[in-house]
Amino acid sequence: MKEIIKLIIKYHFTIVFIILEIICFGLIVRHNEYQRVIFSHQVASFTGSISSMTAYLKSYTRLDEINQELIAENVKLKNRIEQLEIVRRDTTWVEHSLEDSSVIYEYFEAKVVNITFNRMKNIVVLNKGNRHGIEREMAVATPAGVVGFVLSASEHYANVIPLINIESRVSAKLKHNSYYGSLQWDGKDYRYSYLKDIPRHVKITPGDTIITSGFSPIFPANLVVGYVEEIQEENGNFLKIKVRLAVDFKSMSDVYAIKNHRKEERKKLEEGYADE
Amino acid sequence: MNNARNYLIHLLLLCFIQIVVLDNIHLGSYVHVNIYIMALFLLPYRMKGISLLLYALGLGLLMDLMDNTTGIHAAASTLVAYVRPRLLQLTSGREAMDEARGFIRQADFAWFFKYAFFSILLFNTVLIFAEAFTFSNLFISCLRILFSTLISLLCVVLYYFIGFRKVKE
Repeated sequence: MKEIIKLIIKYHFTIVFIILEIICFGLIVRHNEYQRVIFSHQVASFTGSISSMTAYLKSYTRLDEINQELIAENVKLKNRIEQLEIVRRDTTWVEHSLEDSSVIYEYFEAKVVNITFNRMKNIVVLNKGNRHGIEREMAVATPAGVVGFVLSASEHYANVIPLINIESRVSAKLKHNSYYGSLQWDGKDYRYSYLKDIPRHVKITPGDTIITSGFSPIFPANLVVGYVEEIQEENGNFLKIKVRLAVDFKSMSDVYAIKNHRKEERKKLEEGYADE
Repeated sequence: MNNARNYLIHLLLLCFIQIVVLDNIHLGSYVHVNIYIMALFLLPYRMKGISLLLYALGLGLLMDLMDNTTGIHAAASTLVAYVRPRLLQLTSGREAMDEARGFIRQADFAWFFKYAFFSILLFNTVLIFAEAFTFSNLFISCLRILFSTLISLLCVVLYYFIGFRKVKE
């Protein structure tokens, strides 16, 4: 403190000079129109560059949020594609399009809030529910592949039966030759599931892609399920294929829920046949 | 006492010339003639410190008032006052400083010219840049500084020979 006072006393002449010059500068800027305009312009461009820099830095801290926004936009775009798909399909049958121009599949985005791996009946919980349009028996997928389907939905949450639940059965087929079978988990390793009921004579090589068949009203066709890992013989005429699941359940966080708008219609029709 | 009276006469005379005559002469935007700054040159050596700065500030503000350029003259004249002690030391030898008795040394024209030149150059540099308020068009600003310095110096020297000598006698 003493030193500082000493310093001030020693340089008081200069300090007073600087203060006076600052006062003069203030007077110039305050009372002269031309200088004020230039000064305020400079200040504005300076603060502008500062604030744009802080905005740039800030954008890093909210990458997560931006990700969310992108996912939401993706969902919107996917829905749009579905709508356009209808238009494209229906241009050949104009009449048809007049009475049937509804969207078949609608996408909703959701986040995984809870997931289990180590049970026989594993479950995935999503942060969206009835309020956001999530309903029973909607398919759930990530861009990588199928996750499962919605078992039940509350106001804000939804329970999903993932592929790694021994009660889940998904109709799946081989991409390259369309032989289909039923995908069922054995309750052991969350990375692998088994595709059954593929006839013996079908040629399969490890690495082949398995996709959804589209036979069930829940899953749209051609979603990736997984990749052939190993081919085993089940009994007599059928093969049991070990499938490496496309979705990594351990790192999954953002998913799509897919609503089939024609599910009810199809169900009704199929049930009607069974009743006859 | 005599010195103080002389100085007051000079001050009033310089201000009068500046306000009544020179401020009304417009030689285009390239030339600003300022003679009042000589009032700072004529101050006794012993006047130093904050009082010197405040005095210069007041003088500058007075000229600003007349010129409608608040702060510009004040900034320039304060700078001249700030460099004055150092400039005196640099331009005159040690023995000159030892005399330290007001007007006596100022009879030495060579020294006075040297001192006045640097002071006026500094003064006009600040004045022109404070007025332009930008460092773009640097060449034009330099030209303005050069012309203003030369004309002002001419006036100051004229006053030195006409006014100063006469009052001295």
